[in-house]
Amino acid sequence: MSDASPNTDYLQLEIYPSRLLNPDTAEALLNEIAMLEGVVRFFVHGPRIPQTVPYGPATGEIVNHPANKVIVVAGQEIDLEVSVGGVRLEVTDADVKENIREICDRLLPFSYEFREGLFIPTIQTVTDYAKRGPDADPMLLGMADPKGKLSKKPICILNKKSE
Amino acid sequence: MVYKPQFYPGATSVAENRRKHMSGKVEKLRDISDDDLTLMLGHRAPGSDYPSTHPPLAEMGEPDCSIRQTVEATPGAKAGDRVRYVQFVDSMYNAPATPYFRSYAAAINFRGVDPGTLSGRQVVEARERDMEQLAKFQLETEMTCPALASLRGATVHGHSLRLPEDGLMFDMLDRTRKEGNIVIMHKDQVGRPIDKKVNLGKPMSEAEAAKRTTIYRVDNVAFRNDKEVIEWVHRVFDQRTIYGFKPE
Repeated sequence: MSDASPNTDYLQLEIYPSRLLNPDTAEALLNEIAMLEGVVRFFVHGPRIPQTVPYGPATGEIVNHPANKVIVVAGQEIDLEVSVGGVRLEVTDADVKENIREICDRLLPFSYEFREGLFIPTIQTVTDYAKRGPDADPMLLGMADPKGKLSKKPICILNKKSE
Repeated sequence: MVYKPQFYPGATSVAENRRKHMSGKVEKLRDISDDDLTLMLGHRAPGSDYPSTHPPLAEMGEPDCSIRQTVEATPGAKAGDRVRYVQFVDSMYNAPATPYFRSYAAAINFRGVDPGTLSGRQVVEARERDMEQLAKFQLETEMTCPALASLRGATVHGHSLRLPEDGLMFDMLDRTRKEGNIVIMHKDQVGRPIDKKVNLGKPMSEAEAAKRTTIYRVDNVAFRNDKEVIEWVHRVFDQRTIYGFKPE
């Protein structure tokens, strides 16, 4: 398995709003975050929205949920498959953390929790190994939908020029 | 002196609401037509006859039985209706009812019902027309807020999740939607699209939901603030323990 994340000085943050976000609010928030210098990587999580009814007498019916929408973040189309309940990020330093807090204050119309901690794994798990093999890029650790196939749910590389 | 049930201890608004739900003395807040109810439940086409599993009891020639003579059959049983279900989900964010109190309300105030109480959902099985009577009662009264409670036959996920921005309990099958300031249901309880949008009325405001809820919450009425309830809960647990203690 590969070593830990390349830079352990990075901070990991979580934005946890008191309401599940509409796609429009999530799009605005993620766009502002994506434009910020010093954001290394982030992902959204929340309750999954199925395309079709998964079980029961209506199995297979199209759901057509309003929260299941294509949003555009930093010019890239992202198909939201969850109702956005939180954003987890890795940033370079505490200044970026304060910038993100300011963005949340401005864009979220309700209260939210904002905390620093360890939210993205830094060491490869067995699942990561099985999905990506022994020489995986450590930056991709913990960045995949655990229930999804990598080929169907790729990780978006935003702002490629800064790489 | 005639016995008067007290139902539930406590002096707080939550205790009072619990007494209301258990006694069935709840305020009617909205009207839902029989056809709309049938559409939402999805067990048969609106306006159609009730399918039956056996002939009406009157035609069956029942045996001579003292229990049958003492207990009158419910209308659904008399007609030989099928057993069908209704299932409710109530949000933890100050929904008016909870699974336990829906079950108490059903078992105390309705006959021939089989309530099933789970952590996040509550199901009642009964003969079809008896079940519809109960479902209508619970949907039309203050036991249900169209935003914080909903009919969910399958895929009940949502009761313990944060509310979405529009205040409607999360539903991954999108059965209810907010249109203007009313809530409509455009799928039946298992997620099949229905022919018309059923108007469930206006959702309760946050203040009204907090006033009508049967849920103790630290950010509304805390359980620990209800001294009489605490006393009785302690007594019940104490006596259950002592009752099981048998030194020999």
